Amino acid sequence: MAKLCMGLFSGSLDKLTAAGVILSGAAADDMDVDVFVLLQGARAFIKGNENKIDNLAEASHLKEEFLNSLESLNVSTWYEFFEMAKEMTNVKVYICSLAGKIWGGEKLEDFNDLTDEICGIGEYLTSAEEADIHMFI
Amino acid sequence: MTQVELVELAVNKSVDARGTACPGPLLEAKKAIGTISSGDIMEVLSADEGTKRDIPKWANKKGHEYLGTVEESGFFKIYLRKG
Repeated sequence: MAKLCMGLFSGSLDKLTAAGVILSGAAADDMDVDVFVLLQGARAFIKGNENKIDNLAEASHLKEEFLNSLESLNVSTWYEFFEMAKEMTNVKVYICSLAGKIWGGEKLEDFNDLTDEICGIGEYLTSAEEADIHMFI
Repeated sequence: MTQVELVELAVNKSVDARGTACPGPLLEAKKAIGTISSGDIMEVLSADEGTKRDIPKWANKKGHEYLGTVEESGFFKIYLRKG
């Protein structure tokens, strides 16, 4: 079974949505997935923040158009994509401990239900080394 | 298979994913194929242009047989036989 390792640095709505779509593809393919949530990404994983994320990494001046299109195309939210992927395949979400602390999260219970572990950078690199696919978002 | 043969197939499972964009149809196909038996025929209805290429590639990779695609007005019917 192929393994995907994703470094999720971004906590912006557009990149989180892209990450969710990619996870869905991995889930359809029964891949094993490790997601390592790094600096900005950790903000989105703090408990209660999932619906507060509304900034875009790119084309932020077209945010309204982007959001309207997502809605009219019936695209799931980034959080729903992650939930679906976790239901369908083996997806583990790791929060970088430094990133968590930057946004006020130290313990597992400070993060949303998608989160499996708090980790250090060594685990991310080991996962990337062992993965068939590694991507950084 | 010819287009006529495809539309005359006795389908065991029909998945209507016309309401979703990529990756919706692929996810629905993946969920549905788990509910049928080996050798069963499944059709996936999709209005997403990407699905037409995505599902055959996915099916071949997962050991299912891609039988063909019929283009209807505004959507596709993609036929698979579960491996």
